[in-house]
Amino acid sequence: MPRIRITEYLDIELDDRHWYCNRCGHDIGPADRPYKEGCLVADRNPQDVHPVLAPHKEYNFSFDPAWVRLIEFYCPGCSTLIENEYLPPGHPLTWDIELDLDDLARRYAAGAVAETGGSA
Amino acid sequence: MGRLRDSIRLHDGLIYDRHAYGKAPGRDPELLIRSTEPPSPLELAGMESISMVDLEVFRHKMNSIVEEARDVYMSLSISEGIITGDMNATVFTPEGDPAVVATGIFFHSLLNYGPIKYVLEYYRDDPTVGLRDGDVYFFNDPTCGGVHTFDMFVFAPIFFEGELIGWAEVGGHQGECGSISPGGFSPTATTRWEEGLHVHALRIADNWELRRDILDFFLNSVRNPFVFASDLKARVATVQRIRDRVIREAERRGKEQVAGGLRKILSVTADLARQRLLQLNDGIYRNVMFNDGVGNDSGLVRVPTTVIKEGDSLTVLVQGVSPENNRGPQHSTWHLMKASMGVYLFTYFFRGLPANMGLFDPIEVLVEGPSIANCSADVAHGEGTTISAMLVQNVHVMGSKMLFGSEHRLGVSAPFARNVTLYIQAGTNSYGYRTANFSGAANAAGQGARFDLDGEHAAGFYWASFTDAGEVEESDMRLPTVTLARMIDKDFHGFGKFRGGTPLMEVSMAPQGGCQMTSRGGSDRVSHNSGLFGGYAGPPNPRFVIRGTNALEMLADSDPRLKFSQYALAKEQAIEGEYIFATSSAATEDFQAGDIFVYSISAGGGYGDVLEREPEAVLEDVRAEVLSAETARDVYHVVVDPHTDQVDQQATTAARAAERDERRERGKPFGEFIQGWLSQRPREDMLTYYGNWPEPRLESYDKPYWGQYE
Repeated sequence: MPRIRITEYLDIELDDRHWYCNRCGHDIGPADRPYKEGCLVADRNPQDVHPVLAPHKEYNFSFDPAWVRLIEFYCPGCSTLIENEYLPPGHPLTWDIELDLDDLARRYAAGAVAETGGSA
Repeated sequence: MGRLRDSIRLHDGLIYDRHAYGKAPGRDPELLIRSTEPPSPLELAGMESISMVDLEVFRHKMNSIVEEARDVYMSLSISEGIITGDMNATVFTPEGDPAVVATGIFFHSLLNYGPIKYVLEYYRDDPTVGLRDGDVYFFNDPTCGGVHTFDMFVFAPIFFEGELIGWAEVGGHQGECGSISPGGFSPTATTRWEEGLHVHALRIADNWELRRDILDFFLNSVRNPFVFASDLKARVATVQRIRDRVIREAERRGKEQVAGGLRKILSVTADLARQRLLQLNDGIYRNVMFNDGVGNDSGLVRVPTTVIKEGDSLTVLVQGVSPENNRGPQHSTWHLMKASMGVYLFTYFFRGLPANMGLFDPIEVLVEGPSIANCSADVAHGEGTTISAMLVQNVHVMGSKMLFGSEHRLGVSAPFARNVTLYIQAGTNSYGYRTANFSGAANAAGQGARFDLDGEHAAGFYWASFTDAGEVEESDMRLPTVTLARMIDKDFHGFGKFRGGTPLMEVSMAPQGGCQMTSRGGSDRVSHNSGLFGGYAGPPNPRFVIRGTNALEMLADSDPRLKFSQYALAKEQAIEGEYIFATSSAATEDFQAGDIFVYSISAGGGYGDVLEREPEAVLEDVRAEVLSAETARDVYHVVVDPHTDQVDQQATTAARAAERDERRERGKPFGEFIQGWLSQRPREDMLTYYGNWPEPRLESYDKPYWGQYE
């Protein structure tokens, strides 16, 4: 069961070629698709997280929620915040990591992959 | 090209691998897109004769020369940017490629080959110009290889025994360039003709003597002739020092080894870069960034980036970018987009490898044009760094995602702070001469959080690895303002398992009338300082001034209500006056005695889930006044016992478990989420300069992920 560490929170299992949460081991779905499709996704007002310092509606050292939304991606197993994006409302999400899985398998077989994963 | 690279579809009818403008007098953009030149016979002879061990000794010597030049230049200069490190010094190969680079600013060094290659191509054999020992050239034109007109450079050939063995170059942020706004940054400029001097490659000295007629022309073209003349002479003295040091090395080694050694540094570095790339996972990586202004108006624009990593090569593709808008100076050039990436690649991605143009040999750069990222010649592009920095931030995020699964994880971090806001102060200073520049606080932005550490507070200038904010007392003498406070402030960084660094916050005041200020920016409602792996971004950074204040009276009375921090001033508003929170892209305004400017260059993003931050580290930040108790409670879900002032571990565990439950409540399965999400759209007034929504170049697009064209 070779499990390769890809990011802080994501591993790829080479046998079934799926994403897995590094923290709880939850199966997040096929690794030839965006891991975001296997997450719980929330559209948040960024001001829930970023404090508003000034009373001005538009310029207050926080994000203007009419211009930017905070999209959060949670592991369905343990609710870890795996990734986020700051996007204008309705902008398509970002397929941020699209790995060449055949190359990853080759590199693993050749001993070239630096680290295997598993829960932290 | 490989399988992944070939899968990328480019839009028809657009320019990708060159500039969106053509040749003109003094300008040949084809010279700017050349990769490292093939070795000349002189260089080949030297490359063969120098061993790898001796090459390392030679490289160290050349590094010492440019680092010494940096110190000489900073010591001789009097303008704020240069003194605090917003500058560069470089030794080029005889064929005009940057081989040895000093910080300050890496990307300056990676740009300035354009005018050198122009001199080699068009002037060396021209009987009206020629090329001789002792010539010194000046340039600042963004279309010829520069950045913006107020970044000014000089370069000089290095001859030994009658042969050209290299070039010395030095330059930096001069400040004033005769543009419509004092200090060079002109947020209202819409064409290049409003941006002051444009000099492509002009010989300003013969036999190391500055030409009086040319000097007079320059001094009559800018608002700060004393500063300009002084710093120009500092540049000439510095390139002369570089030249003298390189000549001494040639006397020891011979001309072949100097010329060939410089060239071999590039080829060895390129090999090392390829080896580094082979250690990373192949794949396609994407990131996207938005700005909320164009310089003269508000509006969303987009800079997306795709990186294809395959074997020992990278392709950096900037496609689907917003079109040129003719409304402001936030337009970049192809060469600026490429060179800017050096800021990230040299310091993080290729950390440990020599910093020079050889690192770009395995990298193909494709930038869609005409667009805000690769613009036409006549569009204003004095703030092209806004756009190119968005590319750098994208590449930083993607680079960290590439490095994480490798033995080079030490380079993984959220991007360095780069929200655009900058204040340029103009007027008469305490020495009695006219000046226009920004304060050294720009050199103290917050670092992005790292994979195993918090980001450093007030770490440095985005573009220059080694900078210093300078002494307040000296700054107060050189600029027409008085600094009231510099501090690390509360709730102004990216939150995460590891938090981003907070910038140096500066509060300054106009001590008298006659002080002017221009603020330039964007990222007033958005941020360019992403977090990483769930870490939150550094916050937006609008303009904040207080006008018509009673601050002078309060200072005279030592009023205890005076608290000079952004957090306190914005929240408590204890000083009387008009509080103005506004876009940072604003034209020059006059200010009166007692008017206050609150300023910082912005904060680093966080790394990882906030719920994984050690509660004690949260408490430590509260005690250090980097974090408010409210944010500790609401964002980190850390509960502090009011009686003991210690973390209540049990209550914190419960609060964090409750937040995880909340996440399950508000999170939707992807299919359910995406339907509602894609039905939304920004207000029309936000999309004036964007292009088609959501893909600027496509009339219709309904994919859940940008970059999916099939």
